[in-house]
Amino acid sequence: MPQFRLNLRRSPRKLLERDGHPGPGPGRLALIMARAGIGKTAFLVDVGLDAMLAGQKVLHISLGGTVDKIRTWYDDILVELLRSQKQLEHRASVQEAIEPLRHIHTYDYPFNADRLRDGLRLLKNTLDFEPQVLLLDDVNAEKLDAAMAASLKAVAAEAGFEMWMACQTHRKDPARPGHLPHPADQFEDQIDLAFQLVAEDEKVRLHLLKDHDRILDEELHILLDPETHLVTVGTLVGD
Amino acid sequence: MSDEIQQIRNIGISAHIDSGKTTLTERILFYAQKIHAIHDVKGKDGVGATMDHMELERERGITITSASTYVEWKGHHLNVIDTPGHVDFTIEVERALRVLDGAVLVLCSVAGVQSQSITVDRQMRRYNVPRIAFINKCDRTGANPERVTQALRDKLNHNAVLLQLPIGLEVHHEGVIDLIEMKALYFRGENGEQVEEGPIPAELQDAAEAARANMIDAASMFSDELLEAALEETATPEMIRAAIRKGVLALELTPVLVGSAYKNKGVQPLLDAVNAFLPSPTEVPIEAIDLDKDDAPVTLHSDPEGHTVAYAFKLEDGRYGQLTFVRVYEGTLTKGDTVYRASTGKKIKIGRLVRIHANSMEDITSASAGDIAGLFGVDCHSGETFNGEGPRLAMTSMHVPDPVISLSVNPVDSKAQANMSKALQRFTKEDPTFRVRLDPESGETIISGMGELHLDVYVERMKREYSAEVETGAPQVAYREAISRRGDFSYVHKKQTGGSGQYAKVEGYIEPLEEGGYEFVNKVKGGNIPTEYISACDKGFQVAMEKGRMIGFPVVGVRAVLEDGNSHAVDSSDMAFMVATRSAFREAYQRARPRILEPVMKVEVEGPAEFQGAIYRTLMQRRGNVLGSTEDGGFARVEAEVPLSEMFGYSTTLRSETQGKAEFTMEFSKYGPAPTEVAEELRKEYSGQVAEEDD
Repeated sequence: MPQFRLNLRRSPRKLLERDGHPGPGPGRLALIMARAGIGKTAFLVDVGLDAMLAGQKVLHISLGGTVDKIRTWYDDILVELLRSQKQLEHRASVQEAIEPLRHIHTYDYPFNADRLRDGLRLLKNTLDFEPQVLLLDDVNAEKLDAAMAASLKAVAAEAGFEMWMACQTHRKDPARPGHLPHPADQFEDQIDLAFQLVAEDEKVRLHLLKDHDRILDEELHILLDPETHLVTVGTLVGD
Repeated sequence: MSDEIQQIRNIGISAHIDSGKTTLTERILFYAQKIHAIHDVKGKDGVGATMDHMELERERGITITSASTYVEWKGHHLNVIDTPGHVDFTIEVERALRVLDGAVLVLCSVAGVQSQSITVDRQMRRYNVPRIAFINKCDRTGANPERVTQALRDKLNHNAVLLQLPIGLEVHHEGVIDLIEMKALYFRGENGEQVEEGPIPAELQDAAEAARANMIDAASMFSDELLEAALEETATPEMIRAAIRKGVLALELTPVLVGSAYKNKGVQPLLDAVNAFLPSPTEVPIEAIDLDKDDAPVTLHSDPEGHTVAYAFKLEDGRYGQLTFVRVYEGTLTKGDTVYRASTGKKIKIGRLVRIHANSMEDITSASAGDIAGLFGVDCHSGETFNGEGPRLAMTSMHVPDPVISLSVNPVDSKAQANMSKALQRFTKEDPTFRVRLDPESGETIISGMGELHLDVYVERMKREYSAEVETGAPQVAYREAISRRGDFSYVHKKQTGGSGQYAKVEGYIEPLEEGGYEFVNKVKGGNIPTEYISACDKGFQVAMEKGRMIGFPVVGVRAVLEDGNSHAVDSSDMAFMVATRSAFREAYQRARPRILEPVMKVEVEGPAEFQGAIYRTLMQRRGNVLGSTEDGGFARVEAEVPLSEMFGYSTTLRSETQGKAEFTMEFSKYGPAPTEVAEELRKEYSGQVAEEDD
């Protein structure tokens, strides 16, 4: 158990607490979309840290990065969170407590539900690691279609974890009215929560595009920190 | 030999172990006519590769120390340093990179970007070394140079661009296509020594044109002339080469060449690329520090007529005494001249100056700015800078990590004792990460280094090169002690035994300092402890921290805050306050919940993906925390943090669990708390030792 935890006033998962679960809940899928360089990875790491600080196990899968790069994201964002709370002196203890709760896995393509299932089986059987939250970063929009989304969500349902997926959108693919931006428009039914990070006037705002059955475009009136792209705000408290 | 400094290339060849860099170096020596026959690394012919000049290296098929050699290639003077590929010996790599102006990063076309490639690349980045990549072993099953080029981009953030395409892969690998000249190159003759040009095979024409367009796109970022010419389809090979060179020197472009050194394919074009794209000594900024001006930075110029500055980057013991490898940065070293050691100002006369081949040498009369040479008869440590008459300049000191493992070595007889002393003296001069000390309690000689293999190699070298038969103890891990919460103290040191007494009172607390180290804070008000005793208090804490009360290892990460105290006009002294704070620390230490820290290594294990589970298990059995894993082209790389104390004998376990198909590297990561059961065991062991000593 963590020796310290961050008492989060605001986090991506707390924003949309449903059925008593932070975030989409087990077996469900949340999608975060943005153009390149807006802060998708930071957002996912934010979600991951939130879960780890709550004692949940997180599997962070990247289809493009390296383990070192992703670890650095976690380290940097934790430092920012702690610095903002003037709690930086506890960094080592917090890291020591939460790092065993995270596993980072990077794959080359082709990545699919079968490979994910194999990876989960291996983690469970050899490391006794069963994630409660799965983060899937750097998904290639060209390779993401309804069949793939459905098969990945089926794995989430079987294993009982909540899944957050980050996917890049392109200027050339504007959203059709009443639908999510491409490629998410191909598998809207599979998505429980959809967010979009939107850069406006050098600021990044968080929009909610889908909340379970409703397609909408609700500006959540949340400006992401311009330096860190963080949503999370919290205070470190001792256990 | 050409004396033109612009024609000099000081290059390193760095890579993951077993990527074939020693084989590549061997071919370079052969094609440059430095050797007249080619030998295998693992010595099937009983000779071994020329660059693996140490007996031990020949036997193990690995390169342990950097051997330096020079070759002439098409009017250019190449100083080639062959560097080791194992993390245990990275100080060698770092030293080589410090003195090099450019490097060839060798990658295996099957295994791709491996853990050691990442480490080496990080080191190259640290020293701003421009590099070109050579994707080797294109004749192997599973060779895929395009995937490796992509991995260079994704994993190492290189702007990697192919300058060649392979003609056939695996057993069909026949040659390469030169995308600048748009010609096919074949390597004929018994040892591929005749480079034959030909038209691009028809079936590869489209792929070659597409790859050439990519190459020109990437290169034109560095040249408006090329950009315009490319638009008008009038780009010439000279324009392309000039633009690529600009990108490489700016560390913003990595040209990629392909081939198979073992099959004698692609080595000569690689040498051409070294000439064309890597910098001469005049094109690399060089900075030294002025020791007489508070280490103020000084820019050096590669001017043979300037103030002589030469840097000793490697020592070797040979039959003519100590051979010191130097890089001349400015001025000229001439036989018979006098130079000065920057550290001590001691005069040194240059008796013999040589140019070094792997295991032979040639006498020369001078070595000028930009050159690498060997000196005989000079007594110095590696890392020393030599100056001519004038300012005392030193090359910026190198990053040297602290050792993490120790071993006691005991000579079997008095002859071995004398030889061991000689050997240890030599090794500590050669390798700053290798340390020697005498344990005052046991009287044993303790050697320390960066890993088990590092120390093993030195023990073997003692036996082979110095006939020093030694018995070694069990490896000892460098533990530390630390506190986990605040501990208050209020201590009076009072002694009255006739004559002047001792009196000192100190009050305050100690608390953890997460960043490690030690910090002393003086909060004493109103002169309750006179100012002249404050530094004695500071010293007292530091003395107490040298040996912790739990297992006798140093205490780290402490902020000692002195808040109040008292003194006596006659009986107080520096000594009294030092004794008081030392005892106060011990009092507070118990209250501060002390704990034992152990060195934790970052371990990377690589092997075929089917062994991923087995790799996980071997790490878990050793208290490893698996950080992550990567699956890439049938290979898996698992990264973990594992306590050093659990890593002994890991190579044997890994071999048996993976049919010898996985390999690992490790380096120090951090100090982490030892689990209760381990700490308890260590405490018991230490109590036993203390009790024995008391008896």
